[in-house]
Amino acid sequence: MTLEIIEPGTQVTIQDHPGRVGLQARGLFPAGPVDHLAFRLANVLVGNDPGAAGLEIPVGRFTARARFAGVVAFCGAGSPSLNGAPVPLWEALEVAPGDVLASGAPPGAGFRLYLAVSGGIDVPPVLGARALHTMGGIGGLDGRALIRGDLLPVGAGRGRKLRVPQSLRPVHHRDWELEVVRGPQADPQFLTAADWREFTSARWRVNLNSDRLGVLLNPHDFAWARDGAGLAGDHPSNVLDASYPLGGVIVNGDVPTILGPDGPSSGGFTVIATVVHAALWKVGQLRPGQDTVRFREVTPEAADALAAHTEFVLDPAHLDEV
Amino acid sequence: MKVSYCPAGDRYVLVEYGDAELDLRLNFFVVRALAGLTADPPPGFVEAAPGFRSILVHFDPARTSRAALLDHLAAVHELQPDVSSLVLPSRRISLPIAFDDSATRRAVELYAATIRAALYTEGGSNIDYIVAQNGLPDREALYDKVLGSEWWTAFTGFSPGLPFTFSLRAPTELSVPKYNPTRAWTPEGAVGMGGPCLAVFPVESPGSYQLIGRTVPIFDALAHNDVFAASPFLVRAGDRLRFFRVEEDELTEIRRLVLENRYRYEIAEEPFSVAGHLGRQ
Repeated sequence: MTLEIIEPGTQVTIQDHPGRVGLQARGLFPAGPVDHLAFRLANVLVGNDPGAAGLEIPVGRFTARARFAGVVAFCGAGSPSLNGAPVPLWEALEVAPGDVLASGAPPGAGFRLYLAVSGGIDVPPVLGARALHTMGGIGGLDGRALIRGDLLPVGAGRGRKLRVPQSLRPVHHRDWELEVVRGPQADPQFLTAADWREFTSARWRVNLNSDRLGVLLNPHDFAWARDGAGLAGDHPSNVLDASYPLGGVIVNGDVPTILGPDGPSSGGFTVIATVVHAALWKVGQLRPGQDTVRFREVTPEAADALAAHTEFVLDPAHLDEV
Repeated sequence: MKVSYCPAGDRYVLVEYGDAELDLRLNFFVVRALAGLTADPPPGFVEAAPGFRSILVHFDPARTSRAALLDHLAAVHELQPDVSSLVLPSRRISLPIAFDDSATRRAVELYAATIRAALYTEGGSNIDYIVAQNGLPDREALYDKVLGSEWWTAFTGFSPGLPFTFSLRAPTELSVPKYNPTRAWTPEGAVGMGGPCLAVFPVESPGSYQLIGRTVPIFDALAHNDVFAASPFLVRAGDRLRFFRVEEDELTEIRRLVLENRYRYEIAEEPFSVAGHLGRQ
């Protein structure tokens, strides 16, 4: 009962959801899938607990051989195939021992592909989770991304088979809109009102060097509401070190960065906005070097409503049997 | 004390205490309040993580309201005794340090070659820059200040188990600007300074602190050494670090002994009396 990695792709990792929660005070963000919606959907489609361990596949590229009989599902962005024949995304498939599961780059928008297998990937939990934390080098298989020849243990599954109806599938874009709540360190003390307007009206380019630690955006020369940061540093983007929210948009000098699940859990930069929970999945589908982002300000109350909308699709009652 | 509550998205609240100043009493309050909060968490509490003078509270909006959470936090603050009467759980941890070692020099050279050659990379080490920034006569004067202080762990964060420490002798005696832009690679065990803060890097990671030397592992999920048997994190908030000087070849030998479980870390339980500390100042 294993999944054999034939072509490991680019930093394919084992993840679970919600990852390693409860250790931020020790310096660990939770890890887990960057697009947790596609990840959990893949699990639900094959009858797993939504948080069961599966694979995160950047750029959609990888090849593996099933050494088990069960059900798998691909969600997110990629061009999956089974024994060389294209298979649909967002839909459970049966596999037999020897079957080759593969995927190439996504034909359209989006960046990360997720693979769930019935029973989940059964590597041992480390500090309470199987999710690989790349900076910490813990979790996953031996604390690292997958390499050719890895044999991933697969658990025993119930093997339910579902598909996501077309109307409920997440839509990927090249030009994204991310809902954020203002602050905790925005105007008027840190940014000027004009800075905030620029932040929420500009189209930001996603830098090529973006990864699970963070999504870097193009540099921008904010005016700032203050001259410096006193003891905290020379630059007005500096503050006395504090813990960061996951999805926080920090400004590091001139570079806004959206903090990812393996990112630094604290630091000395202003967090001018925070991506709301319902929009975090989109961060996982931003294509480095190509996509753009616009930030839309919402209230925390509106964010709660968005969250309910996003979670709706995870209820198996809203999905179709294959 | 002034307390402010700022929304950080829909699932976090950033609680800040006092003004933006480097007053260790603000941090003593944070250490105590965070312990109180996690010992008696309110409904919907997920976790909380500290900063120098702040606590970030992560909550589940499906299980609590923001208003109810803030009420609970206010109650936690009310319950705290006066800072000057606090006795905080603390340990004194002594760590070997090799100044200006080859691993940190490699990080500086790599940065200068691939990211930016800056004032702080001249000579292939950050140490002369720290010395100059602080108006010290020579490197030995800097080493004496590092070795002569007890370093208070204000909190851990950034990467797994990274302690942010401040001199208990004179918290702002030393200060140095951080890298700009950030360094892409820092060796595990590196010791660095940013502003008045001294930190030990537990894993290979990015970093913006000026590097002064290297010490032993302080994070080990595989528990090669018994010191990590109960927890992979060596240093906790409230611990005090002291450094003793070794040469690089000695450090290399000690680091080998750590992995072979033949090195015993020097750790003494010693509760920290804020009144005693303030009296000494």
